[in-house]
Amino acid sequence: VKIKPILYGERKVYTVSAFNRGVARFLGRLPEVWVEGEVTELRRNEAWATVFLTLKDPRTGATLKVTVARTLYDRLDLTLDEGEAVHVQGRAELWEARGELGLRATAIERVGLGGHLVALEHLKRKLAEEGVFAPERKRALPRVPRAIGVLTGADAAARGDFLTTVERRFRATNVVVCDTRVQGRGAPAAIISSLRALAAHPDVDVVVIARGGGSFEDLLPFSNEAVVRAVAACPVPVVSAVGHEQDTPLCDLAADLRAATPTAAAALVVPDERELRAALDGCSQRLERALRARLERNGEHLARVSGRLRAAPGALLERRRAGLDHLVVRLQALSPRATLARGYAVVRAGGEAVRDAGAVAVGERLDIELAAGSLGARVEDARP
Amino acid sequence: VTLARAHRSFEDLQKELEDIVAKLERGDVPVDDAIALFQRGEALYRACVERLEAAELRVEQLTRDETGGPAA
Repeated sequence: VKIKPILYGERKVYTVSAFNRGVARFLGRLPEVWVEGEVTELRRNEAWATVFLTLKDPRTGATLKVTVARTLYDRLDLTLDEGEAVHVQGRAELWEARGELGLRATAIERVGLGGHLVALEHLKRKLAEEGVFAPERKRALPRVPRAIGVLTGADAAARGDFLTTVERRFRATNVVVCDTRVQGRGAPAAIISSLRALAAHPDVDVVVIARGGGSFEDLLPFSNEAVVRAVAACPVPVVSAVGHEQDTPLCDLAADLRAATPTAAAALVVPDERELRAALDGCSQRLERALRARLERNGEHLARVSGRLRAAPGALLERRRAGLDHLVVRLQALSPRATLARGYAVVRAGGEAVRDAGAVAVGERLDIELAAGSLGARVEDARP
Repeated sequence: VTLARAHRSFEDLQKELEDIVAKLERGDVPVDDAIALFQRGEALYRACVERLEAAELRVEQLTRDETGGPAA
């Protein structure tokens, strides 16, 4: 195509092709530059020599078409996602066939990671200073929740892993699932509103955030300040199972408990049914044993009392006997025989003991009893 | 004996059972009370086991609105 005007008298007129070519050459003289924007409308096809994408200015929404040779794009090994911030190095170019302005890329670099990391570190320090992550804020999970609230993305794997594990461990569980947009622009607001809705459910007394792995950027909403604060302020305990083992989104730090995976979260929020049954059976056994012990102790007491009761008559008899023996001794001491033995004698007249000399007549017969044997005698004289 | 299933959580029942066991094990309750406690404990135990046997996993879905969060 020649850039030569057609002359209509004085007027120079260019064909569309000639104009485009001219502008294209002009643009081609512009220096190579770096352009920053978000990736949208990324189209890569094995059959095409060129990869197309559109760069978007996130503040104004202005867009710029970018082309990059597929071989170059593949060599960069970026596997870019929509919405990612990139730096593109290239020159302005005009697609002559359509008169469209574009940028012919010679290099693409993912950016924002460094910036994100710095911002995250700042936020983390700020929230830590406020005590949002403080261990004393952590609440204990209910041992057996009435219902578990589960916040998931449209993430069938995380959700499935969680539910399967819950059911295997403790069948008698109620789960309230809230599928939530967990990625992209509206994610933080959606996560916060889901969290509130779950916590407001009358039976939910623990919330699990189950979000499978994703790129650093995918998980960024879970480090969003408002989300992190909402997790910390949630009226019921929160278990955070976001990303993989190595990821630590800030909501993990704000949650009451952190789980490496949705499966691990399930194991944390419901007891193991077998363990629970064993504990219950243990309780039942202890209950019986405690009652039996209580009654036995009572029985022993009873036995002691009744033993004393039964032993009582014997002891009484014994005491009586001892008393009796004593009495016998005393009795024996009082016996006239003992007196006789000391030299006294008993005088009887007609079988009656004589106590008064006036009671007998002279010549009357008397019987005198001695310690050994007796005498018969007559009264010679009496001196009353 | 109130075991109203709708109102008390499994955890509540289990906790009461454990408390009763602990109390009975301390052994300082009068015999009559001990027997009443035992019966209550047995009822709690049966209620707990019943709940385990009868129940199955129940999943409720909160619906989403267009913002990606749950509908009000």
